[in-house]
Amino acid sequence: MSVSPLSRRLSRVFAVEGVAVAVIFVGMIVFFSLASPFFLTGGNISNLLIESVIIALLAAGMTFVLVVGGIDLSVGSVTGLSAATTMWALMSGAPLPVGLLIGIGTGVLAGVVNGAVIALLGVNDFIVTLAMLSVGAGLLQVVTSNVQLTGVESEAFLWLAGGDVLGVPAPVLIAVVVVAVLEFVLIATPFGRSAYAAGIGPRAAELAGVPVRRVRFGVYVLSGACAGGAGVLLASKLNSVQSGLASGYELTAIAAAVLGGISLAGGRGSVWRAVLGALFLGTLSQGLQMLGVDPLWFTIVTGLSIVAAVALDRVVGRIALSRLLGADPSTPAGPSDGPADPGGPTADAALENDDPRLDQPLAGSAREARTS
Amino acid sequence: MTLLTTSPAASPETSPTPPAARRGPADLLREVVRRPSAGVVGLLVLICAVMAFLAPSFLTYGNWYNLAQQMVFVALLAIGMTIVLITGGIDLSVGSVLGLSAGVMAYLVNQGMMFGLCLLLAVGTGAGLGLINGLVITKLGIPDFVATLAMLGVASGLLFLWTGGVPFTGFMIPVYDTLGGVTPLAGDLTAPILAMVAIAVIAAFMMRRTSFGRHAYGVGSNREAARLSGVDVARVRIAAYVISGTLAACAGVLLAGRTTAVAPTIGVGYEIQAIAAAVIGGAALAGGRGRILGAVLGALTLTVASNVINLAAVSPTWQSVVVGVILLVAVGLDRASTHLSRRLGGPAPSP
Repeated sequence: MSVSPLSRRLSRVFAVEGVAVAVIFVGMIVFFSLASPFFLTGGNISNLLIESVIIALLAAGMTFVLVVGGIDLSVGSVTGLSAATTMWALMSGAPLPVGLLIGIGTGVLAGVVNGAVIALLGVNDFIVTLAMLSVGAGLLQVVTSNVQLTGVESEAFLWLAGGDVLGVPAPVLIAVVVVAVLEFVLIATPFGRSAYAAGIGPRAAELAGVPVRRVRFGVYVLSGACAGGAGVLLASKLNSVQSGLASGYELTAIAAAVLGGISLAGGRGSVWRAVLGALFLGTLSQGLQMLGVDPLWFTIVTGLSIVAAVALDRVVGRIALSRLLGADPSTPAGPSDGPADPGGPTADAALENDDPRLDQPLAGSAREARTS
Repeated sequence: MTLLTTSPAASPETSPTPPAARRGPADLLREVVRRPSAGVVGLLVLICAVMAFLAPSFLTYGNWYNLAQQMVFVALLAIGMTIVLITGGIDLSVGSVLGLSAGVMAYLVNQGMMFGLCLLLAVGTGAGLGLINGLVITKLGIPDFVATLAMLGVASGLLFLWTGGVPFTGFMIPVYDTLGGVTPLAGDLTAPILAMVAIAVIAAFMMRRTSFGRHAYGVGSNREAARLSGVDVARVRIAAYVISGTLAACAGVLLAGRTTAVAPTIGVGYEIQAIAAAVIGGAALAGGRGRILGAVLGALTLTVASNVINLAAVSPTWQSVVVGVILLVAVGLDRASTHLSRRLGGPAPSP
């Protein structure tokens, strides 16, 4: 079976998870800009980015947890609680840096509790973070029912979400810096490499000297810190905190990560992919809004498009991979000759199982391995 | 309680009976601790003991009768969730499927359709949505978490659109009063409680004594091994989602009868409670482990937890904090009992 060089190259590109989603993303932008002349204006784009920043931050933190093979369901309620503590501190007259520290510290504290119970006591991550979701949402309700949290007058605080630097919105700038740092941490530091190793095979990593428990603890702290930061931005944006704030954000963040091609089974993923997923969801809701679609349809359209995008990504990837393998079985999509893939270990994982995308049961067995 | 005392026959790795030479207290302790539901039963006893001191009205017939009425919905969802978890999946859509089925029921009854037919169509809605979940997951290969999360969005969105934000009311015809438990069947026995017991017994029988049950445990413990030994893995997984959807619809029909209105937000957040109940009851998210009786006990634990808040006159704003803490304690106890049974020696309970 001979395959032309062009189709071979194409196959190689599409064999990477998330590429099909990226193509759909571009298609979506083209569609919306044709449908509405206002879509590609500067004001709308900066609006869209500002709207996506919170989810992007949460998804970036979630990436670390997913790479290790865990899950963090508490990020939504921790975001809400951090927003509340920041507002509370600032309204009690604390200076801005203290308020920010308290907000981010709230997230870090939640992450430390999550990480300690999961990594040190060995309790199931889903349940621990679910309990933390409950506790965080409950504390938010307790705080907001006792104090009216609204109307901080600090200019500097409101600038965080409303200001701009040379026309670039401040929250977008903050998010870009945070995401860049996180991406660097994940792909270029020993901590990041250990995270991939712990996600691919905890036992093997342990035997190879990777401090698996410490890494597992670390990713939950990181995810909590991201949620704390997102909470500060959310408080600055709304300048008012109510009970139920940011509830359900955890599922949107996970959806964003999965849209970007990050596996829930662990060992694969990178921060930019999760951010791409967050932008995908943000663009979708902004575009639907511009087209005047009834907001009641949003959850339906979002649900359907997530399934469609992930399904298409799987199908396209499977076809591309089988063409590659059919063309030359001795060179599966590997890191050395594949397209530029910042998630290096992603490709390593692909090599190890030589064909992870055709191997459905892999997800199940990896989940078993990490929980047992 | 007979379910509690028999060994998990359907579990693929049935623990061999330890040599019963001399049965000292350590053996007895080991026996107790090794029961899959030891953690949850211990927690329940603990809460009840504390409550008996704090609130004298806790240990009354009236209060426990109320608890039984309240736990039905989460119990039904938790039974379905347990079956899905046993096969190694997860179903985040049960709350929204509950809502949409309740909406179908209320709407059709209002249209004056024959009651039995309404019931059939409402339950059929749940089964259909479960079938879609199963097909999307097995045939399209989409991760279960994502597929059922999408279904959550779609089903709850549909109910919102359909009701237009205004609750469905006025469907409480006399038959529905009986079905919803407003009028008891005989004495104090109400239809929802009867339905819960019947469904729990049938589900427990199915998971322990039928080939479907054995296959479900097999698929959850090791999908590849199950496939190689000739189990139709996809069919078992699809069936689990269909059962989960069907039970969610049953819970929806009963919940509509209890609340006498179908608000657009009915069932929101129930999926989390169902998962929590199943896990408190000993189901593992990794698959291959879980018990129907455990799910029912887990649902009871959650219901008792919220009852505690009412009786102990804690401000309701603290409710979810308390539920979260109880959840953590439950899993901690489960962990501790596993550790303890390992320390006491002998084969570990089936994973």
